[in-house]
Amino acid sequence: MFYYPRIIGQYAIALLAALTVNFLLPRIAPGDPLNSLLGTDTAETLTVEAKDEIRRQLGLGGPLHEQFVHYIGGIVSGQFGDSAVLGMPVWDAIMQRLPWTLLLMGVALIISTMIGTVLGVLSAWRRGETLDVATMTTVLFFGSLPPFWVAMMLIILFSTTLGWLPSFGAYQLGTSFPDWNWFVGVGKRLIMPVTALVVVQSASVLLIARSSMQIAQEQDYITFARSRGVSERGIFFGHAFRNALLPLTTHVMLGLGSLIGGALVIETVFAYPGLGSLVVMGVNSRDYLLLQGIFIFASLSVIAANFVTDLFYPLIDPRTRRAR
Amino acid sequence: MTTQTYSRSFIAPLASTTGKIQWFGVVTLAAIILLAIMAPLLTPFGPRDLACIAFEKPSLAHLFGCDDAGHDIFSQVLYGARVSLTIGLLVAVVSTAIAAGLAIVVGVYGGIVDRVVMRLVDVVLALPFMPLVIVLGVYFGASIQTQVLVIAFVMWASPLRELRAQILALRSAGFVEASRAMGAGAWFVGLRHLLPELAPLIVPQFVRIAHAAILVETSLSFLGLGDPLQDSWGAILFHANARAAFLTGSWVYWIMPPGLAVSLTVLALAFIGFGYDGSLAPRIRVAKGKRPVAPEGAGPVAGAAITATGLRVSYDTEYGTTEAVHGVSLTLRRGELVGLVGESGSGKTTASLAILRLLRSPARVTHGAVFLEDADLLALSDTELRALRGRRLALVPQSAMNALNPVMTIGRQLDDALAHGGTADKTARKLAAIGWLEKVGLAARHYHSYAHELSGGMRQRAVIAIAMSNTPDVVIADEPTTGLDVLVQEEIMALLLDLRKSLGLSILFVTHNLPLIARHADRLAVMYQGRLVEEGTPAAIRAHPKHAHTRALFDNLPALDGEKRWPVRAISNMAPVIELRGVSKTFRSFTLPWVKAGAGHKALDDVSLALAPGEKLGLVGGSGAGKSTIARLLMGMIRPDSGEVLYNGEDIARLGPAARKVMSRAVHMVFQDPYQSIRNGLSVREVVAEPLRIHGERDARVIDAKVRAALEAVRLPSTDEFMARRPVQLSGGQRQRVAFARAVVSQPRVIIADEPTSMLDQSVRMEIMDLMEDLRVRFGTSFLFITHDIALARHFCDRLIVLEHGRIVEQGEADEVIHEPQQDYTRRLIAAA
Repeated sequence: MFYYPRIIGQYAIALLAALTVNFLLPRIAPGDPLNSLLGTDTAETLTVEAKDEIRRQLGLGGPLHEQFVHYIGGIVSGQFGDSAVLGMPVWDAIMQRLPWTLLLMGVALIISTMIGTVLGVLSAWRRGETLDVATMTTVLFFGSLPPFWVAMMLIILFSTTLGWLPSFGAYQLGTSFPDWNWFVGVGKRLIMPVTALVVVQSASVLLIARSSMQIAQEQDYITFARSRGVSERGIFFGHAFRNALLPLTTHVMLGLGSLIGGALVIETVFAYPGLGSLVVMGVNSRDYLLLQGIFIFASLSVIAANFVTDLFYPLIDPRTRRAR
Repeated sequence: MTTQTYSRSFIAPLASTTGKIQWFGVVTLAAIILLAIMAPLLTPFGPRDLACIAFEKPSLAHLFGCDDAGHDIFSQVLYGARVSLTIGLLVAVVSTAIAAGLAIVVGVYGGIVDRVVMRLVDVVLALPFMPLVIVLGVYFGASIQTQVLVIAFVMWASPLRELRAQILALRSAGFVEASRAMGAGAWFVGLRHLLPELAPLIVPQFVRIAHAAILVETSLSFLGLGDPLQDSWGAILFHANARAAFLTGSWVYWIMPPGLAVSLTVLALAFIGFGYDGSLAPRIRVAKGKRPVAPEGAGPVAGAAITATGLRVSYDTEYGTTEAVHGVSLTLRRGELVGLVGESGSGKTTASLAILRLLRSPARVTHGAVFLEDADLLALSDTELRALRGRRLALVPQSAMNALNPVMTIGRQLDDALAHGGTADKTARKLAAIGWLEKVGLAARHYHSYAHELSGGMRQRAVIAIAMSNTPDVVIADEPTTGLDVLVQEEIMALLLDLRKSLGLSILFVTHNLPLIARHADRLAVMYQGRLVEEGTPAAIRAHPKHAHTRALFDNLPALDGEKRWPVRAISNMAPVIELRGVSKTFRSFTLPWVKAGAGHKALDDVSLALAPGEKLGLVGGSGAGKSTIARLLMGMIRPDSGEVLYNGEDIARLGPAARKVMSRAVHMVFQDPYQSIRNGLSVREVVAEPLRIHGERDARVIDAKVRAALEAVRLPSTDEFMARRPVQLSGGQRQRVAFARAVVSQPRVIIADEPTSMLDQSVRMEIMDLMEDLRVRFGTSFLFITHDIALARHFCDRLIVLEHGRIVEQGEADEVIHEPQQDYTRRLIAAA
């Protein structure tokens, strides 16, 4: 009653803010947006009429409030405009590449959540012992590596030097979807980018799992549980882990929303045909509508992930449920 | 047990593991910064000079060889360090400044400002991080300045969230409340108290942001979005990737060095930040399986439920070992109720947890033996011990909030306990659980309740039900009534006594509440500084205390009969200094204008009282009676809904905004907990001088003279050495004296003393009361003494007012109220005293 309308309102505001930022950026940026979009040299060669025509196409013509109404209307009806560099509707381009990003990032998120949780929990259990110290050292080290550099090192080792794995694309050219070879190709091309992501991502999951486990273990209810004869296993999994799950779930769910951002650099290194490399393509070719579309899409997914987390949070934390 | 927080510097001492790791980080980072600064001295080539042939292999002249265009890579890495570090550190400066600035603003204004800022934070955090940075970068250009601003723009939000959590805690801290009560404005509090307290947290935030910013910048440059004129480490890798360094074998010297440089820098920052997050630090390894040394000839005493012999407990920390319990021997006979009494820090809780073998590392028992009947508890295996726990030996912990698992229902926790006790049948367990809930005064429906849905007293009942559910023989109750309302304390005590009778329990009752336990215990054991100093029946100890500490404890117990300790002052017919006339006050939670406001909480209902010059008026009542609302009204901090607040016969509402100023000079408040109300970061001189500064005094000589006079008035040394001391170097009693000096310094006509002794150890309480009497006699100050302890109020006050639920239920001469109480509520308070 109290909880839901408030968070729905909150997300409506966040969504509106994201849309507004996206709308305002090209318009408040210094100089004529056409210069930054087309490059100063190109823009100067155009006639006034040609410029106006481009502005109209980009939704940059007319008074600001009309532009805004037009812009929101376009988004509501799913019309993000046409991408100049791809020559197709932005929405279609996003939809075409989304599955690849979901595959890559989804696999990486699942694996790093599992590894991070298991190691983090073990680390908290064996706090101060060799396993813990070794894990923590490794994690601090891995967490300090730039993800794309890890990716480059993997390519050097497994592609260039050993020649075991292909370093380019998402599937083998010349194969098509239901073929066995297609699946093999996709699998082989997932190994390195997923590894690079897991190396970097599991560090943060691990740290959160470990510290929330530790905090939970130091609570009075653990001492009380122990005093009444609950087994160490029961205390660890029944009492401590159950409470440690709360911050961990939040972290992983929010990770879902930032998939696209996380994919950016890794996809670039491996020329993986997902949304991340679409962003880079948009940047390099100054494809304004493409960038705008992806940004909206990315904002939506972050907000949606937050929203889902909040909706389901009362299921795991009774304190956020409505009082009886 | 009071938990004291000691502020620790960000970098731990070099002697500790944490310190070594941090110093390693500091030295590494310093070396990298030094190399970046000295780049022109270290290499003759500029990063863009055509210095060599394309893909030239590393040599002495070109340490890291050359790239495809003939640039010297060593020089590129050195100069790249300048760009990467500049951006990382500048972003950290800008973001930390934004976050800290906004945190202070939120701390100062709170309320609606806080909401707006936090919505803004939510919005920024809901934007996709990397795409946002990229889009901003595209539109605003790729120079270093814009990169710094862009990255900082997305990075301030999450540190602000952490700082804000801290500042909200600080805002309700005792010293902020005290400063406000002295009349300090919002910005005075913000800059003099909040900012200095926040500073230690700002440093680690800075390190964290720098850590993240360098990684983000590297990624951005790697995508080709860096400053095209100045190559950072990321940009070098961008070129390497774009120009297929993989294919040429030049990766060893082209890709490795910049990547390792980034990693090393970020790692150095991570190491520096290491100490901040206590959970990261490996704990000192506790000697596992090291049995405590049993004293010779230790064995169970005949007829004893618990025999503890020569218990010693030490705490192992990174900085050494300290012993907290120095050889305590104690027996609890079958069916006996023993009170283990002591002040905070006496080691009573540590000793009782040692008996239960529940001490958590780093605390461990080094010597001693504990027998439950004839079972040697410290020698049992974990499994054997577990079999005894709950079934024969139970703990009733202090449950203020945390003894119940917040995500499990009460029923589930009872069910677990019953299953451990051997009830296999599920339905039987549920019936038994409900039976126990009813036995402790809860209802069957509480089976499905969570801890947060219950009040403090109900939670304690649930805890008792769980502890008793397997009908143990021995119960160790660790401060089971602390933190509860006076009358609730009595109820819980009554419940325990009741269960003791019906279950035939032996109870070791650990508490600092001497009057409570002295009424009920068969024997008392008094602990002082980690030692057991006295044992015997309450009557015997009271009559013939052997130890000076025990004598002090009993001497300080106010009695309900006999001579009043402080004389009554004949009430003159002088006009009252301050007065409430028919005051009512209701608190409503904030709602939007169009939402129908709820009934709210009626804190005061038609209250009238007057305080004559030099009078001592006692305000007695349980929690929620409206005592502190009265205090805030009298200080002009809140306005009444109806009725008048008068000062010198004049309604202070007529003074308008000046009311606060006038009242903060005339009325001063001394708070309950001197550990909270005085900020540790200040010197004694600064603490006492605060009201003077708030009221605009700037002349250092005047301040110095007044501070010295105030310290003398409260019988504290007025030496330079003492005035320079920090509060942590003072005892609790001394701290409370400093708080009184802070009151006296502005020569108020009224001092409101809000439970000024309840957080102090029993042995120093009377000193503080003596001090108040002394101030009254010498300066003619009026006192409004707020307390739940009706016995103490009876001795100190001329008149008493008893409050219940915001109404005055009884008032009159102190002894009249005590000896001829008219109301049931007053009688219950007297019974609980």
